[in-house]
Amino acid sequence: MEFVNPLTGFRLDGRRPNEMRHIRGEIGVVANADGSAMFEMGNTKVIAAVYGPREVQNKSQQLSNQALVQCEYSMANFSTGDRMRRPKGDRRSTEISLVIRQSLEASVLTHLMPRSQIDIFVQVLQADGGTRSACINAATMALADAGIPMCDLVTSCSAGYLCTTPLLDLNYVEDSAGGPDVTVGLLAKMDKVTLLQMDAKLPMDIFENVMQLAIEGCKAVAQYIHEVLLENTKQLESRRGK
Amino acid sequence: MVGLSSGEKHFIRGGIAQDLRSDGRQRLDYRPISVEVGIIPQANGSARVRLGATDVIASIKAELGKPNALQPDKGKVSIFVDCSPTAAPKFEGRGGEELSSELSVALQRCLLGGKSGAGAGIDLSSLTIVEGKICWDLYIDALVVSSDGNLLDALATAIKVALSNTGIPKVTVDLGTSPDDQPEVDVSEEEFLQFDTSAVPVIVTVTKVGRHYVVDATSEEESQMSSAVSASVNRHGQICGMTKRGGAGLDSSVILDMISVAKHVSEHLFSVIDSEIAAAEAAANS
Repeated sequence: MEFVNPLTGFRLDGRRPNEMRHIRGEIGVVANADGSAMFEMGNTKVIAAVYGPREVQNKSQQLSNQALVQCEYSMANFSTGDRMRRPKGDRRSTEISLVIRQSLEASVLTHLMPRSQIDIFVQVLQADGGTRSACINAATMALADAGIPMCDLVTSCSAGYLCTTPLLDLNYVEDSAGGPDVTVGLLAKMDKVTLLQMDAKLPMDIFENVMQLAIEGCKAVAQYIHEVLLENTKQLESRRGK
Repeated sequence: MVGLSSGEKHFIRGGIAQDLRSDGRQRLDYRPISVEVGIIPQANGSARVRLGATDVIASIKAELGKPNALQPDKGKVSIFVDCSPTAAPKFEGRGGEELSSELSVALQRCLLGGKSGAGAGIDLSSLTIVEGKICWDLYIDALVVSSDGNLLDALATAIKVALSNTGIPKVTVDLGTSPDDQPEVDVSEEEFLQFDTSAVPVIVTVTKVGRHYVVDATSEEESQMSSAVSASVNRHGQICGMTKRGGAGLDSSVILDMISVAKHVSEHLFSVIDSEIAAAEAAANS
């Protein structure tokens, strides 16, 4: 199947190989949560809600010198094309919950909030490839909305390699093509990688190109998130009447 | 939700007694309802309903299936509610299962009628394709994104709006040579039939706090309730289903009174939903 048109260089959805899907982020979508955000990457749409810092629910897990960060990833029944039977608890969801938690824990200043718990809940409303990345981006915005201290924004993007071309931000069709899928999570300003996952196989030099492309994607997302948060802060400031 | 102090509880109960609730509403007023349709493109029909801070999404998917042997001339509908942990941390893992099952069963009772399919709000016989062999299976999935009380009303509204937005694909059936053959069905990608939702009821939950009833309680008000009656009412004012929640016992005259309040409020709710559906369809078509 022709994922990249040899004549025009366009992908199946009309993008160029180094072009990301349209991204959109919004803060404060769940009124009850301490912080929440909605993030869309193309047709992939996720909502993240943060509750915390709050008292640890399970005292045996309490850490005396830092906050406990917990994450749960669930997909809605209607998020995929064929209806899913089990929204959560399956192995993929457990793995993605772990991955999101570890990526964000690297950034949250947990030592400032000992003996407390920070819950991050991510709900996928529509899945079209790159749900992992969209969830991490949404969770970062939700943590910022909750005012939880972080050392940097954690952003994530995926990249792949099909038809001898590195492709940025794979959608579901490109992801299921069987080519490699590299997901990178990055601390944007500090330029440090907190998450790196890949499946299938790639020669080393091509892998470097693909990873670099994904890192560029992460930086673009970080730029966008930074603007959204800045806009939000300006609105809060104007509401205070300053 | 953070616990309430006794002063706050007193304030809520006192406000309800004086017909001035914490957000300024009167006892029988609904919060502003906002509706979006067609938000899940890959589903046959979908809707998102916001009732104050309560936010629910309903999605309808139609798949081909085999009808029940006892009712070969009717399609099948199943309703499934999922409480997302984004709504409250206690819904994490399996914590939301109890509430999800309670809501799913209450919705089934109100919308699907009895075991024989009689009295269903959704006309199941419109879902057959070949009697006894092929029918439409309608999967109604609802997701609670944010919860601030009155989930049942919001869910029923979302399902009603999603059904009005649902298009069942047209099918052409090739019956095959002998009656035992499995018919071949060709599902059209282009043409859709709109679902008839005029008979679908809405649910009105009447919550008793102290000696008064309120409609559309927030979660703070629900924490002070003694009991609640959810009645499903259709356009003609007929009661299609009923659920009572809460530990306190109610006098039968009180229950009848609450049902009549629900009937009275449902007229207003129907008009609000109809105008919202019309506005959403106009926005979608333009």
